[in-house]
Parts: sequence; structure tokens; C-alpha cells
Amino acid sequence: MASRLSFLRSALPVAAALIGLLLLWQLGAMLFDVPTYILPRPGAIVATAIEKAGLLGSGLWITSVEAVLGFFVGTLIGLAAAVLMILAPPLEVALIPLVIVINSVPSIAFVPLVLIWFGLGIGSKVAIGALAVSFVVLLNALAGLKRPEADAINLMRSFGASRLGILWRLQLPAAMPSIVTGLRVGLARSTIAVIVAEMMGAYAGIGQIIYQSTAQVDYLTVWAAVFVASLGSLVLYGVLVAIDRKLVWWR
Amino acid sequence: MLDKRAEGASGPAHLQLVNVWKRFGEGERQTVAVRNVDLAIQPGEFVTLIGPSGCGKSTLFNMIAGLLPPDPDGSVVFKGQPQQDGALLGKIAFMPQRDLLFPWRTVLDNATLALEVEGMSKKAARQKAEALFPEFGLKGFEKHYPQQLSGGMRQRVALMRTFLFERDLILLDEPFGALDALTRSMMQRWLLDIWAKHKRTVLFITHDIDEAIFLGDKVVVMTARPGTIKCEETITLPRPRDASVVTTQEFMAIKRKLLAIVEEESMKTFAAAGAA
Repeated sequence: MASRLSFLRSALPVAAALIGLLLLWQLGAMLFDVPTYILPRPGAIVATAIEKAGLLGSGLWITSVEAVLGFFVGTLIGLAAAVLMILAPPLEVALIPLVIVINSVPSIAFVPLVLIWFGLGIGSKVAIGALAVSFVVLLNALAGLKRPEADAINLMRSFGASRLGILWRLQLPAAMPSIVTGLRVGLARSTIAVIVAEMMGAYAGIGQIIYQSTAQVDYLTVWAAVFVASLGSLVLYGVLVAIDRKLVWWR
Repeated sequence: MLDKRAEGASGPAHLQLVNVWKRFGEGERQTVAVRNVDLAIQPGEFVTLIGPSGCGKSTLFNMIAGLLPPDPDGSVVFKGQPQQDGALLGKIAFMPQRDLLFPWRTVLDNATLALEVEGMSKKAARQKAEALFPEFGLKGFEKHYPQQLSGGMRQRVALMRTFLFERDLILLDEPFGALDALTRSMMQRWLLDIWAKHKRTVLFITHDIDEAIFLGDKVVVMTARPGTIKCEETITLPRPRDASVVTTQEFMAIKRKLLAIVEEESMKTFAAAGAA
């Protein structure tokens, strides 16, 4: 009950601001008679979204599946790599420079290569999403796993804890806040990467709808697709906040 | 060869340090943290260790806990067996200076940490810990998180965690150092009660002379760095001791004597720091 109330209290101003903005946009566009291809009115965008609900819905579904799959695969790879590097420090010394180099190139730059390697279907989108996520998760998890001080590790050792016991009971929980930060950044990145990859080559998905509608000079559909994509990422963000609360309950 | 003290009236020592050294660094840069420490602790004894800050008390402690290997000159003998290469890990209940409670675990689950590490099931460990809560003055706080507790309570949780790791020898590194004077004296009396009931051997580090005398069967004084043992004073004050013991003539006499020794050592540290 109390949490529902606090949710309303934090969601209300956001919703009010959003509605205000849309109203301002609608009135402005009507007042200055802005042509549709430059800035369509929100009313028309919503009408298009409803009209093409079938197309947009199936596109959103495919994009979400790709982004979430890529997110999971990337998270698994990132976490596994971080744990391996903590257990075998030479691995970290050897690989981290490489990771930083690859991570400093926007993952979108790899889209053409990924399309060649994995084709135009879901595989290439999951791969690019995973690529976008794994490095952020790896770097954040690594920093988090190193957070416990020597004193705390020594305490565990004095209890006779093994290397894995220390990892499981001390380092992993201590790393949770920083891992969750990595997940949050990673999810945003994987969504972007997947949509861009769809625009560059795909059979379906929100990115592909945006690409095709642009080619057909159908700007209302482009805007409707962007609207739907924003709604989708809003939902994903909400899921992440819930994950944050679940994994970092002690804060 | 074992020191003569090992074969005292009460049989073999619980823990014995024979010519223990610890040096850090190499060549010119080498510093000696602990030199030539000989010490024997009998079963059931409460030994307090005082010395100026930075005298190597904690280094000595880490060696006894098995966290740090002593230099090859000497040895740590535990129940008659020389210990090497972290062999002491898991044999001694060690409580570091800071409570180091895990913020993601409830008070109850912090207390059971060592039991879980030993492989006891969560349920059994919790049952065992729950029985101790009233005695440690924590009843009703089982489901709280450490960050919701006061300093004195946190320290009691850390002590409970140490006691639940059932080893005969307990190492306590200035457990009450961060507490205010009132809480501290309460905790000291409480610790003596617990000790009397559970009959464990205790080695207790402190920099507070009153605390050392009040708690100990024996007070061991360390010198300034490089630390070694300056003298040992057997405390014959009758037990059980209550707060009034600190104002007795006997207590004062011991305190005057120890104070003179500790002051002398502290001045050395001070002078060394000034010269550097």
C-alpha cells in the first residue's frame, strides 16, 4: 500500500510533465501550421500508432525479444568473464586492455560485420545486443568484485573459507550495486544497438519499420514507431528498477 | 626446542610463539615489524596485550590467525603442533578491529556467517545463533540490518559471530576501541561474564591499560616498533571482577607500574617519529 502510494507520488509529476509537453507540442504545431514531414502533431502520431497497431506491435515484440535476449547473453558473458578474471588475475592483466579498446568503439560500428557473420535474422541482433552489454557488465562487475577490503577477505579466510566461498558469500553480494549499474547502462545500450542494427539490415522489428517508412516518406509511421519504441524502453526501465530493488535490497 | 614456559604447571600451552619475527621489504628498505616474540598462553587463560600504536600488535595477530606467515626464524605452536602455511586458518576465532558486518545480511545471518562457511545448513545455523541472542543483548534485533544498529550493538554482533565459530582460542583486536567510555566498560563486564560461562582461551589486544588490567589474567606489554615483548604481568585481582575493582589499591599499583613502562615505550615511538 505504502509502496503503491510512493510510486504514484513519483510517477505523477512525470506523467504531468509528459502530458504538458505533448499538449504544448500539439498547440504549437497547430498554431504555426508546421508541415507534417517536419513535425507531425502528437494527435496524428497516436492515431497512426493505433491504426498500425498490428504492424507496430509485432515489430516491437521482435525488437524486445532481440534486445532482452542480447541483454541476457551479454550479461552472462560479462559476469562469467569477470568471475574468471577475479579467480585468475593474470587473465585480467592480459585481457582488460583489449576490453577497454573494444569498449571505446561504439558497438554500433560492429553492426555491418555482425550482419555478415550472423545474417539478417534475429541472430545478428542478439549478437550486437550482447556485445553492447557484455563489456559494461564485465567492467562494472570487476570493479564491484574488487570492492571488499583486505580485512573482510581476511575475516572470511580466518573462518577457513575457500576462494569460491569468499567469492560467493562476500565478493558477489558486495558487487551487486555496481553490477546493477552495469545492467542498467547495458540494457539501454543493447536496445539502441538492436534498433540501429535493424535499420541497417533486418526482416522485421521497430528499426526496420523506421527504415522502410523513411524510404516511403511516411513520416507519421516513423514517428509512431519512435513513440512505440519509447514506450517499450520505459517498460524495460521499470523492470530494471524492480531488479535493482530485488538485488540491492539493503540500500 | 620449546621454551621452558611451555611446560608450566598446567601442562602444554594452548598457543606458543617461539622467536617469532616479521620483516617487510628487502635490503635497505626493510622494516622489522615484530622481532623475537616469545609468548605462551595457557588453556582457559585471558591474556591482554598492550603496546604503543604501530608497535606491530596487529601484525602479530595476523600471524597468530594464520593470515600472515611468520619469518622462518621462529614458529607458532598451536596445541603442541608447529603451524605453517596458513595451517591456522579456520582453527582460531579471529575478530578484527572493525566489526566488518555485511550490510546485505541481517543481524542473524551475520552472526551465522562462520557456521555457514563451515558448511552448516542455514536453518541449523540460525537455530544455534538464535539461542545466543538474549545473552548478547540482541533479542528482537534478529531481522534488523547492521546499519540500523548502534556501535555497541554492532560490536556485540561481531562478537557473537566470533563466539559461534566455536574455537577454543579467540583473538580479539581492540574490539571496544571505537566505543564511548560508558558502553565500553559495560561491554568489558559483559565479555567477562560470557568468557566465564563459555570458558575459552582469549588473547585480547588493547591500547587501554585499564581495560588490559580489568580483563586479563596476564597483561603482556609490547615495546615500540619493532615490537617485541617487554614484560608480562600476572594479574591476581579476584574474579568475578566488577566495576569497583578499578579503584582498589591493588589495581592502582599495577596500573602505576604498567603505565610507567608503556609511557617509556610511547616516548620512544614519539622520538623515532620526530627523528624521521
